[in-house]
Amino acid sequence: MATHKPQVFIDSAALEISWRDERRNLSELIFDTVRRAIDEGGAGMTGINSVVLAAHDLVDGRSLSSMVTAPAAGAYLRDEIRYGDDGAAAFAAAVVRIEAGEAERSIVAAWGRASEHDVDSVSRALFGPLFGTPLGLEELHVSAMRAQSWIQAGGQCDARAEAVARRRDAARANPRALRGAGSASQPSYPLAPDDLPRWADVVAAVIISSRPGGPRVTGMGQSSEPFAIGDRELAAMPGLARAAQQALAEANVAAGNLDVVEIDGLTLFDEALAAEAIGVAAKGEGLNTLARDRRVNPSGGSAAGYCAPAMGLARIVEATLHLQGRAGTNQVAGARRAMATGSSIVAAQTHTAIVLEGI
Amino acid sequence: MSQSDLITIPGRWNFEYTYFAGKSATRFFRELVDNRRIMGTKCPACERVLVPARAFCDACMERTTDWVEVGPEGTLETFTIITTAFPGLPKPPIVMAYVTLDGADTALINLVHGEDLTDIDAAARRLNSLPRVAVKFIDDPKGRITDFSFELLSQAAPRNDARPDVGNPAR
Amino acid sequence: MSGVAIVGVGQTTYRRSHPDMSSRELIWAASKEALDDAGLSIRDIDVVIAGVAPDALAGEASVERSGIMGIGKPYVRVNTGGVTGSSTFFAGASYIKAGRAKAVLVFALERMGQATTSQQVFNTIFDPVYEKDFPLTTITMAALRASMLMRLYGYTEQHWARIASRSYQNARRNPLAHLHLDVSPEDVLKSPLLAWPIHRYEACPMSEGACAMVLMAKDSIGARKPVWVQGYASTSDSYAMGDRIHRPEATLVDLLSLRLSAEKAYKEAGVTNPVKEIRVVELYSAFSSAEAMAYPALGLCKAEEGPRFVERQFTDPSLPAFNPSGGPQGANPVSATAMVRIAECALQVRGTAGDRQVDGVERAVATGQGGATQFSTVCVLGKNPVH
Repeated sequence: MATHKPQVFIDSAALEISWRDERRNLSELIFDTVRRAIDEGGAGMTGINSVVLAAHDLVDGRSLSSMVTAPAAGAYLRDEIRYGDDGAAAFAAAVVRIEAGEAERSIVAAWGRASEHDVDSVSRALFGPLFGTPLGLEELHVSAMRAQSWIQAGGQCDARAEAVARRRDAARANPRALRGAGSASQPSYPLAPDDLPRWADVVAAVIISSRPGGPRVTGMGQSSEPFAIGDRELAAMPGLARAAQQALAEANVAAGNLDVVEIDGLTLFDEALAAEAIGVAAKGEGLNTLARDRRVNPSGGSAAGYCAPAMGLARIVEATLHLQGRAGTNQVAGARRAMATGSSIVAAQTHTAIVLEGI
Repeated sequence: MSQSDLITIPGRWNFEYTYFAGKSATRFFRELVDNRRIMGTKCPACERVLVPARAFCDACMERTTDWVEVGPEGTLETFTIITTAFPGLPKPPIVMAYVTLDGADTALINLVHGEDLTDIDAAARRLNSLPRVAVKFIDDPKGRITDFSFELLSQAAPRNDARPDVGNPAR
Repeated sequence: MSGVAIVGVGQTTYRRSHPDMSSRELIWAASKEALDDAGLSIRDIDVVIAGVAPDALAGEASVERSGIMGIGKPYVRVNTGGVTGSSTFFAGASYIKAGRAKAVLVFALERMGQATTSQQVFNTIFDPVYEKDFPLTTITMAALRASMLMRLYGYTEQHWARIASRSYQNARRNPLAHLHLDVSPEDVLKSPLLAWPIHRYEACPMSEGACAMVLMAKDSIGARKPVWVQGYASTSDSYAMGDRIHRPEATLVDLLSLRLSAEKAYKEAGVTNPVKEIRVVELYSAFSSAEAMAYPALGLCKAEEGPRFVERQFTDPSLPAFNPSGGPQGANPVSATAMVRIAECALQVRGTAGDRQVDGVERAVATGQGGATQFSTVCVLGKNPVH
């Protein structure tokens, strides 16, 4: 007996990137963006019986942080779940709920407020007390080693300055990019300051439903890699490659046919290598692609503002806005098919790839 | 491998945070200091007065509008008598309770004074009868929730049911 | 939509600490047992969902990341505090119902054996703006609810003591439980008062351990003996307990979120007369007094009849058996506790619960609680699939 699986559509998408807005506590910051997504969804809270969240206690600064934050995201007397994982993974879980017939409409929200916590010290805690934390290892160090390993394997660096400039320009043209100060960590070789993410306060919210109207989720993939950095193929990002392949296969779309590709990566190099893993750049040419391919990260990527674990959902919001024709000054004209990716702790260990199709 | 051969690694879990209280909580605390009053905010949809004052009603997902003074008296809804010490607080035994101040639709937690705690069980019986309390401010409020506490009123008046439960939170 | 069944269960022992095991080894032990029980290898699993609640209790940020099994699969982590174990289970079931997986491994790990200051960690779950200055703890929150139950429905300290004693006696028949203590109601009342009216023996121990289950789609089960997931639901409430006192629908201790979850789960499962149809109830009651909120919310009795319902539990064999495993008072590995309730129900339905087996279990119900009774889950398991 064939089972009818509901299709999933995006009703609305909202994103706010800010810095140290002391007028709003964390819950109020979350409320504002979730409320905006509800308003733009055009149907209020009608039919919303599910709330799927991505947030990390260490980022929020309180254990079981969803006690105070879930209500701000519409959880009151609803079926709410919080993933301590990247926002795109929460999005995938919400899609699954609708496909399972468990939800009609669902809020998906993810956030991280870099101005309230010390990003580097949380990052150091991620690598485990036995073999990682005692060495002071941070996710940005892994990004640096990933870049170095790629350079050693013959990755082309000629277009590096051009890629940096393009990223900066894209962030300037992105209406949603950080306008405040933000903050930044110290780079370690071979990374330079311009390669690094701008830490920011990020809240992303999306409403999905089984009712047609907005962009459709046509493909989804999720995959994972070993925890120990020494066990991984750092430059190849095989987990992301698998997730992207799965999503593209399900959507019946080739990477070359994507109009917008919003890639989550901590640094310029992570984004470049991710582009290769996804298949929008040939091996070794990731920086060239970031420098010249207007389809890739029109948002400006991590230069527009970054805080885990919000970013996979922020990428989904950006991709959605392009498909809706509402991206604003950085709009990619005629965008019909998009991919968004999200990579979670630790140092891009697990990945989610989503393919969307507009009308 | 015996127990004594197993390695243990000591560690500290120590992260620094700066929590932004936000405009609403800031104003709530300022009202304690400047005007010695407790404020709630009203949800325009369900019409509940929410205390402490806050920027939005989570039941309705609506921003609150009016700021409303509540109290200075109220009803003690439920309590516990704490028998272990806590840093920065009076020596135990102490009473902690939820109090619904007059005019509020939600209860507020704070310490309660004025009960004779020499016989804990007898005190518990008295406290478990919805007694009336009044807000009592410290001499030098600082803008913290500990600027006030509740004092049992000597007359054990019957519970004030004048304010009906208003509205149904919109879903 | 595919029917979902449990085909494998694995649990480590629950103890104050497991000094001979790393976090990933605990995960592996429970997961391997569940996989073996299901006759599967990790290669047969399509999705892995990990449940780990506050990292601060373990003092490790990525316990589940280091414990990853079967590289290359979708691998996500749930953190919903006390209901983590059940949220994780439900999330796994959704992947099967959506047709995105045929076999899912779910596990939940509690590593609080590494914590030396757990009560301070529990304090950090409360609001740093309004509540940091108070001794808000899970204990004082439970005490506030217990007082209200006594005022509204006439419960006494004796009721709390009898429930606690029953849990300890049940735990003595559960080799996995943390505590095996011969505690009488008098022993409970003589134990130190923590916060009136809660005595020490009404609270739960600090336990660590891991629990895992394998879920499978109906069409893939083959010759395995399934325990059917007949219905489940989760409901989240407002954060502040003070916001839940004057609600017209239900006051604080009437536990609206649990009632709503029970109604949804029962509807899905086709349960219409719970007190007759449910043979075993595994409750997430971290304090013995918390059980009292669950009975009416689960539709087992009216709230006003609660005290009498407790008394009848000791004389009326037709009533469901409560926490035959000993419940959270026997072992409370916080991240896993809600999953352990489901696992214990599964063993009861299968008839493999050993000395703690209850006779004739067709259906069992497991509950989960998280936050200060902010999150409530209900899961109905049974011998037969629902049509």
